[in-house]
Amino acid sequence: MTVRVRFFARFRELLGTDISAEPAPGTVLADLVRDLAGRNREGYVAIFDEHGAFREFVIVMRNGKRIETAAAASTIVVDGDEIAVFPPVAGG
Amino acid sequence: MIAIRHDDVDIGKLISEAKRPGTGAVVVFDGIVRDDDIREMDLEAYEEVALNELEKIAGDAKRLHNLLHVDIIHRIGRLSVGENILIIIVSAGHRQEAYAGSRYIIEEIKKGVPIWKKELTRDGGRWVPGEHPHGKGPAG
Repeated sequence: MTVRVRFFARFRELLGTDISAEPAPGTVLADLVRDLAGRNREGYVAIFDEHGAFREFVIVMRNGKRIETAAAASTIVVDGDEIAVFPPVAGG
Repeated sequence: MIAIRHDDVDIGKLISEAKRPGTGAVVVFDGIVRDDDIREMDLEAYEEVALNELEKIAGDAKRLHNLLHVDIIHRIGRLSVGENILIIIVSAGHRQEAYAGSRYIIEEIKKGVPIWKKELTRDGGRWVPGEHPHGKGPAG
């Protein structure tokens, strides 16, 4: 099973982007991101708080649709998913 | 034209093309890189999603404000002070609709389109903080 994970802006600088992950069947979205972010301490701390929960400003999308970070703990990723994780937007 | 692109556009040409039958007003918003003691700015987008959202905002603006035509061009990549970042061109029958429609579009873009800016200074760079429902977010 392959899942594409994309980080943007400062998260991208710390963790890279366009990561091809191969999570085990049944893996939930939050655990997948936690695992990838754990490769860089600064990147992990930027996204997760001391309890391992997404920080309140972090935005998560699955296949281009925003999902609540609280729901990420129970959302099982499936083959072909694209997950995006980014800080508040600042365009315009 | 609804686009996310590196290159600039010919605003004069877009204004001409925005003058559809029934047009009484065209409003142009041109957001540019301000000289906040920076050298340049890097802009990054989650392009596929950002483009879809710009298209949705354009459609909503047309419907809500009776616009006849909408262009939204958001540039990405490295831009210098004075360069165009975001161009919004709207036409409508009357100025009230055109102004309101233009304002609606820029505010919606600020709220949720996945685009980020990094200001490049002599000492390095700083991400422009975005807004989120709990207040000002951390820098990018």
